[in-house]
Amino acid sequence: MKLDILNALDSKKILKELNASHSKELAASRLVELKLPNKKSEKYRYFDIEPLIQKDWNFTKKEPIQVKTGKSIVIKNGIVEQLSNLEGVEVEMKEFNDIDSQHFDSLYYLSHLLCEKAIIIRVKDETKLNIEHIVTENNCLISYRIVILSDANTHTQIYETYSGDAKDTLLLTGYDIFISRDSTLKFIKNQTINNNSYTPISTNRYKVDSNATFKLGTFDFIKDNGLNIFRVELKESANFDASHLLYANGKVKGGTISEIIHEGKSSNSNQISKNILDNNARGIFDALIRVQNSAKWTKADQNSKSVLLHSGAYMASKPQLEIYIDDLEASHGSTTGQLDEAQLFYLQSRGINKVDAKKMLIIAFANEVISNIDDEYIKNVVHTHFESAYYGKSNLECLETCHSCEDMVLEEN
Amino acid sequence: MSKVLKIKDLKAKIGEKDILKGLNLELEEGKVHAIMGPNGAGKSTLSKAIVGHYDVEITDGDIVYKDKSIKENEPEERALEGLFLSFQNPVEIPGVNNAYFLRTAVNAKRKHEGKEELNAAEFLREMKSKIEELGMKKELINRSLNEGFSGGEKKRNEILQMMMLEPDVIILDEIDSGLDIDALRAVSEGINKMKDGKRSFLVITHYSRILDYIKPDYIHVLKDGQIVHTGGPELVEKLEKEGYESLGSL
Ligand SMILES: Nc1ncnc2c1ncn2[C@@H]1O[C@H](COP(=O)(O)OP(=O)(O)O)[C@@H](O)[C@H]1O
Ligand SMILES: [Mg+2]
Repeated sequence: MKLDILNALDSKKILKELNASHSKELAASRLVELKLPNKKSEKYRYFDIEPLIQKDWNFTKKEPIQVKTGKSIVIKNGIVEQLSNLEGVEVEMKEFNDIDSQHFDSLYYLSHLLCEKAIIIRVKDETKLNIEHIVTENNCLISYRIVILSDANTHTQIYETYSGDAKDTLLLTGYDIFISRDSTLKFIKNQTINNNSYTPISTNRYKVDSNATFKLGTFDFIKDNGLNIFRVELKESANFDASHLLYANGKVKGGTISEIIHEGKSSNSNQISKNILDNNARGIFDALIRVQNSAKWTKADQNSKSVLLHSGAYMASKPQLEIYIDDLEASHGSTTGQLDEAQLFYLQSRGINKVDAKKMLIIAFANEVISNIDDEYIKNVVHTHFESAYYGKSNLECLETCHSCEDMVLEEN
Repeated sequence: MSKVLKIKDLKAKIGEKDILKGLNLELEEGKVHAIMGPNGAGKSTLSKAIVGHYDVEITDGDIVYKDKSIKENEPEERALEGLFLSFQNPVEIPGVNNAYFLRTAVNAKRKHEGKEELNAAEFLREMKSKIEELGMKKELINRSLNEGFSGGEKKRNEILQMMMLEPDVIILDEIDSGLDIDALRAVSEGINKMKDGKRSFLVITHYSRILDYIKPDYIHVLKDGQIVHTGGPELVEKLEKEGYESLGSL
């Protein structure tokens, strides 16, 4: 099926064409309004979306089925292979229609239309949950969605990883995450995309209730295209803290497209994007913050820093601030440049060769966001993945972020 | 006496500005040379030229170290061969762990010299004992390189690197600036301990205070891009009393 045929249809015909239930009417009519993107679409202008929309996809609907239980949730090629048996977590596969009626992304709606049943995870207790995505099926469109509902007063960490090297596949997924009042959710995405691999597009909706905190970390190490898309709504006194690290190398395009909507008063957001681009990579940080007139005393900070390691690299950094009130504190900034010459020289002047000195500075640049991960184990894994993507191997023996030797020696007397 | 470093008729500019204008200087093995001179004379430029800083463009003359011209060498090659500059204003490098950085540097030098590399624990024991000698806070081991260090901590960190790297020629650019008396004493002790009869020192300063702690064998006066006067330690007192003007020009 070619996706762009949907652009000519009305919502009823879309539902019919996709064999979707009538309860998905909202998604279908939003798709009619927004249309699937082409290369001129505002949000997709820096990304190669058109070939994906025009391609004749081999697409089969998959029932998520559960075969076993274990600590983590495992999803292989859209099929749930393992469910979590962690206490305090309930998982079921069910139709889900409480979607965002105001999302800017048509692929968000498309993915909802393509997935009959979503994987719905309810978190009732303090917990750490891992979600593993495995993508091995070549040349097909794989689409599924995950919903996370956190109960009030819960503190949860979700860590997701990706593996598999499917070729010519579009992985269209995403989360609808609802964080109830007074809860905290930490979500870490760790994704490495190898050369000539599948294209992941993750399109998400986050709703952060009053006094709740959402801490998002996306770590994308890509040698092929990939996108992160999200829209987040912040209620009264909600906190949103996002760190994005992108390392892109090769003739690739990827990054983050986001909208942060401050709806409630005294809501806070802090978004930091760090991008390391080598060869002909194009990085994308197209990020809007909207402060609605209901959101007095908001605090919003946004910052994007990019390092270009090659003259062919390019960063499309578009931080945007849309403000409808006076009473707020907001800042945004964006810098793109090469490595700092004075820092590089300092390291060289101590006998460290230029190649190693550059690596040290790049890792330092990345560490500023990797160090935001609270979980020590995940922090080290992400660091290792970054080093492997960047060096081609990791110096596992002695990570720069691992200071156990220091601690050991410091404690000696 | 063998001359470890020879600066010959060195002319250098930064940007379009001529700064060193035919400078001659020779460092003797095992001796302490002091360069004194007013602000803006070109003292830091000379030190940068010796270690190969990208700001400085050498237009004429030569720098000969251990009997080889090094003016075309990369900064890291000069460092591995034993040149060390303690910077007037050390840069801050957020995200680079101080101990990790210094271990990388020490091991690069050991490798260059055909010695076995130190493992993390061996290195850290060594670093910790030096840190204590210098009266530095232990937490500086695990902090980002120079980030948020006070002026005095940065200078001590330079000396720490010097002690760990064990260079042959040590250039100290305004090592006393920003140091209180206790820090000055600790730093000078560290430097004096490095004297072994072979190692040479070039102490750059525009105050004579540091020379009460690190006794020089020779004093050179640098003015307007040239060494205009060379003498023994007695010159310090004369400069104190009469100022740089009293020496006239070449
Ligand atoms: N990066 C630079 N760009 C332009 N001019 C410089 C730079 N560094 C030094 N200079 C100039 O070169 C001259 C010598 O400076 P410097 O070597 O730092 O003097 P000193 O260390 O003796 O005080 C001064 O006039 C100074 O303004
Ligand atoms: Mg100076």
